[in-house]
Amino acid sequence: MEGTVLIKKAKQGDKEALLQLVMEKKQEYYKLAYVYVGNKEDALDAMADMIVILYENIAKLKKDESFYTWSKTILVNCCKKIIKKSSQVISFETIEEVAVPGDFEQKNDQIVLEKHLLQLSDKHQEVIRLRYFLDLDYQAIADILKIPLGTVKSRMAYGLGRLKESFRGENDENH
Amino acid sequence: MKTIEDKLKKGKTNLDQLEVPEELELKLRNALVKAKPRRHTGWQFKLAVACLALFMIGYNFDTFAYFGKKLVGYDNVMSGALKELNELGKGQLIGSSYTFKNGIVFTLDGIMIDESQLFAFYSLQDPTGQVDVQQINYHLQIEGSWGRYYMESGRGELNEAKNQITWVGSFKPPFFLEKKLHLKLTLIGDGKSKAEEGEITFAIDRKKAMGYTLKKGINETLTVEGTKVSLESILASPTRTVINGSMQNIFELAMDQIKEKRIRPKIVSIKLLANGKVVPEQGSQMGTDLKGITFRYFYDALPDQLNTVQIVVESLLADYDVKQQVALEENGQKQRLEILGQDIEVNKVYQSQGSTYVTITTEEATVLTRVYLVVDGKRIELKETITDEMQKLADGKILHTRTLQFPATGKSYQLDIQRMTSVKKYNKIIDIPVN
Repeated sequence: MEGTVLIKKAKQGDKEALLQLVMEKKQEYYKLAYVYVGNKEDALDAMADMIVILYENIAKLKKDESFYTWSKTILVNCCKKIIKKSSQVISFETIEEVAVPGDFEQKNDQIVLEKHLLQLSDKHQEVIRLRYFLDLDYQAIADILKIPLGTVKSRMAYGLGRLKESFRGENDENH
Repeated sequence: MKTIEDKLKKGKTNLDQLEVPEELELKLRNALVKAKPRRHTGWQFKLAVACLALFMIGYNFDTFAYFGKKLVGYDNVMSGALKELNELGKGQLIGSSYTFKNGIVFTLDGIMIDESQLFAFYSLQDPTGQVDVQQINYHLQIEGSWGRYYMESGRGELNEAKNQITWVGSFKPPFFLEKKLHLKLTLIGDGKSKAEEGEITFAIDRKKAMGYTLKKGINETLTVEGTKVSLESILASPTRTVINGSMQNIFELAMDQIKEKRIRPKIVSIKLLANGKVVPEQGSQMGTDLKGITFRYFYDALPDQLNTVQIVVESLLADYDVKQQVALEENGQKQRLEILGQDIEVNKVYQSQGSTYVTITTEEATVLTRVYLVVDGKRIELKETITDEMQKLADGKILHTRTLQFPATGKSYQLDIQRMTSVKKYNKIIDIPVN
């Protein structure tokens, strides 16, 4: 109820309302951006880029209820732009900088996982990260990425398959 | 071997622990301020200006404490007092109105200015009976030749007939060169009506403005448990007394964040004594900006005959990082823990329907702001706090007993306290010279 009023206000150009809308789901936005860019600064930049685009285009949003999906799609595009600009790959160094409480082994696991994930192509990584790190269901992923549900499923299956192979390969080497 | 899914789930746990940085809001605000205005018709532009005005308030004052003397409903209460003050030559009657298209009458009855604030006594009235005055959505600001002045706090009251709402709003005092001010009220449009701006222009009668009774720099810095609290200045004027101070500058804040030793102070309890008597507190503001954490405390005006003024810094309430794990007794017996010098009494530990319940008693201000239960080596998040009991002791202390629910059971239990809020007593007296 509150949300629809805010969206209406935001459509009239109320910046405060728009800000409130974003801040209400800040955790979701921030995590989504973080999954793509892998560090705090770029995640914040992506969100700042996003809110400007939202502000400039919200009047064009037809269905109020799809505000969050729409804005997340924009956020993903902003993230991709940032990654492209700095042609930066998500390196595990940046991930390590996050204060991750936990033992060394857990961190190590994460680094290994990142390494394997990075071997996949962007579009395969993307669906896996969104599914497993953000707990989004297939339909939500399809909505945000604006691709058909079937494509999400096939990319997921392919990506997971490659990831498994990649892990198996490493284990073999270790033996 | 663990499956790929398990490995990926672990990745999720790491991400779940990610905290949204506090600077996010500021960053988004700044981005929006720079955003190009959309194509706009007249009213939209006005709305944007009005929003920006609201913005500026939010930007400068992160947290607001609304306070006020009982100036409410000056129909009944204030008109007498306003008249009285006016007779004493302390207020300035204005008595101008603006009528909006929807029939709402906006009236500025009077203002009162002193060194620390400008009071505007205004009302919104609906003679048509068509509009719910409580629901009117508007922005209010004062514009002068030297700047804009935003409402910092205020207090309003609805009359019995529910067709008029009267307000006393406190604004920053106008710059001393200001002569004419414009009080602008913008009604925000809803689906039916468009935004509309109403303006009342008035000239300041400086003869009726009041100055200050006491203005002193304090420049005292106290260190409370590693946190520096600086009291910077005190300003007493006929309407109120303000103490300004700051807690940590931005550099110290950043260092604490990096070292993970952040103590995020919440409230300092500061008392003001005049002639040895406590001056009633009106409220306080605390905000974080580029200067660090700043605070302002507001008190009633000081008495005319002033012999002594003292500031007493009583205590500091802060959120401390603890990061301690304490094993709980196996049979769920009573146990006393001491964390950061605060007693935490574990009264009972019991299991029911797949959950473990831990009942604890602490002093009122002590709150475990981030706590987990480690069940057989697995960290379980707090689901909810279920019971809540306060008990006042003979010495005035208040004990708080509550039960924490963790959705898991097992054999060994450890309470994992990551962060805790508690009060540290300080009791430092600062004498302010009066003359």
